[in-house]
Amino acid sequence: MIMSDKLCYYSKLRYVNATEKFLFSVLTLTACILSRSIIIAFLVLAVTGILTVYKGKIPLSRYIKLMTVPIVFLFLGTLAIFVNVSETPLDAFAFPIGSYYITGSVQGLFHGIQLICTALASTSCLYFLSLNTPVTDILNVLRKLHVPALILELMLLIYRYIFVIIHLASDITVSQNSRLGNIRPSTAKKSFAAMVSSVFILSVRRSGELYDALEARCYNGTLQVLSEDYPVKISEILSIAAFEILLYLAVIVIRVSGGTL
Amino acid sequence: MTQKQKKQITAITVFSIAFGICPAANAMHIMEGYLPVAYCIAWGVLCLPFLVTGFMKIKKTLDENRRAMTLLAISGAFIFVISSLKIPSVTGSCSHMTGTGLGAILFGPCSVSILGIIVLIFQAVILAHGGLTSLGANAFSMAIAGPFFSYGVYALCKKCNVNRRITVFLAASIGDLFTYCVTSVQLALAYPSEAGGVLASAVKFLSVFAPTQLPLAVVEGLLTAAIVICLESFAKPELKSVGYI
Repeated sequence: MIMSDKLCYYSKLRYVNATEKFLFSVLTLTACILSRSIIIAFLVLAVTGILTVYKGKIPLSRYIKLMTVPIVFLFLGTLAIFVNVSETPLDAFAFPIGSYYITGSVQGLFHGIQLICTALASTSCLYFLSLNTPVTDILNVLRKLHVPALILELMLLIYRYIFVIIHLASDITVSQNSRLGNIRPSTAKKSFAAMVSSVFILSVRRSGELYDALEARCYNGTLQVLSEDYPVKISEILSIAAFEILLYLAVIVIRVSGGTL
Repeated sequence: MTQKQKKQITAITVFSIAFGICPAANAMHIMEGYLPVAYCIAWGVLCLPFLVTGFMKIKKTLDENRRAMTLLAISGAFIFVISSLKIPSVTGSCSHMTGTGLGAILFGPCSVSILGIIVLIFQAVILAHGGLTSLGANAFSMAIAGPFFSYGVYALCKKCNVNRRITVFLAASIGDLFTYCVTSVQLALAYPSEAGGVLASAVKFLSVFAPTQLPLAVVEGLLTAAIVICLESFAKPELKSVGYI
């Protein structure tokens, strides 16, 4: 059901050190939103895209499909920035409605395009992380960053149980469908409510069983899991460092020169 | 081919195209990279007191009762899953619940704030709904403002002895609407309109997202009411264990 989570286990970049990947995507992401420049956005989009699709061997069609997930928000949100309603027309376009104009300025259009590029580039950074790094590896990175152990424990258990619960929910939905439970909107509503409440009951029961199982194995507040650490490669570190330094230099140049693009 | 068959084929084609392009109307997660840096940080800082309170509260609960750990984890996973399930809707579009209302009613707003932020991190990393830079803003609207408001409405209605079904419906749908308003204001603050400033911009964002969010709030309210009634009628012990009754 959750495609990107499966894909990251097939990625060829999976066994690259997770801290490297985390730092790369967070630094690149920061560069994107700091500069808000179209050139940087295209550069980042190209680099992360090539790394994910070419190096990581994530299928291109899947990658494109995943990139379009936030498209509705992007479209609607940017529409609201483009379009203004005012009594005086602005310079790019203006449609009169009564005594008002639906209008927009060239500046606004430009900002909108800038925003779309930045947002897409940032999403590609996020995908670089999530399509090449399993969540458990990300949690290990967070542990190194001294996130409280309680939160990490909770995150690990939540992550594990997301899949258990999705499985429960989809099993119940399949059996409801096979009994024509979703044939009309009214029955669909009833089935949905029944499904969610039985999932709730089953999950609460599961949590009790989980605790019993943990306690039987001497659980005292921390889950002891062996974490595999993949070696840091000097060549990777150097190329990431070189890329980031160049990227940030470009960001500084763009900011200093006025940041029109 | 008979006339009837042609009509059927046309109908099926239209139907499948409509389904093919129908986008998933999600809750309004602000997208990765959409907010300027200053706003990302400011909303994150604003969330901190709530998160610290939630953390302390969870820690206290855990010191008293170890069993609560797995229960909290399962609750978090439950919130994630209900927010990723497709819900039946009249228009045939594929929308998702937000789950904030149900979470706040079942588990209380304080623990939902911590669970909510974890759920948002997973939504960003696994589903690319929302993002890491917009985590602060999203957490404020979806894990803090929405649940607390929902819970407030719920408590108020309960005090005034309103019908159970209506209480839950109001709590869930008003909580949803409140989240949507907060997100619109967040966007408006970051991107004030060239003609009319923040207020005009807020109106624009509200009206642009209204067609997806208003029906969603109603559907979510109806479903949450049905779920809570269902649970109350045959899950008393489980509800007691999460501290609901």
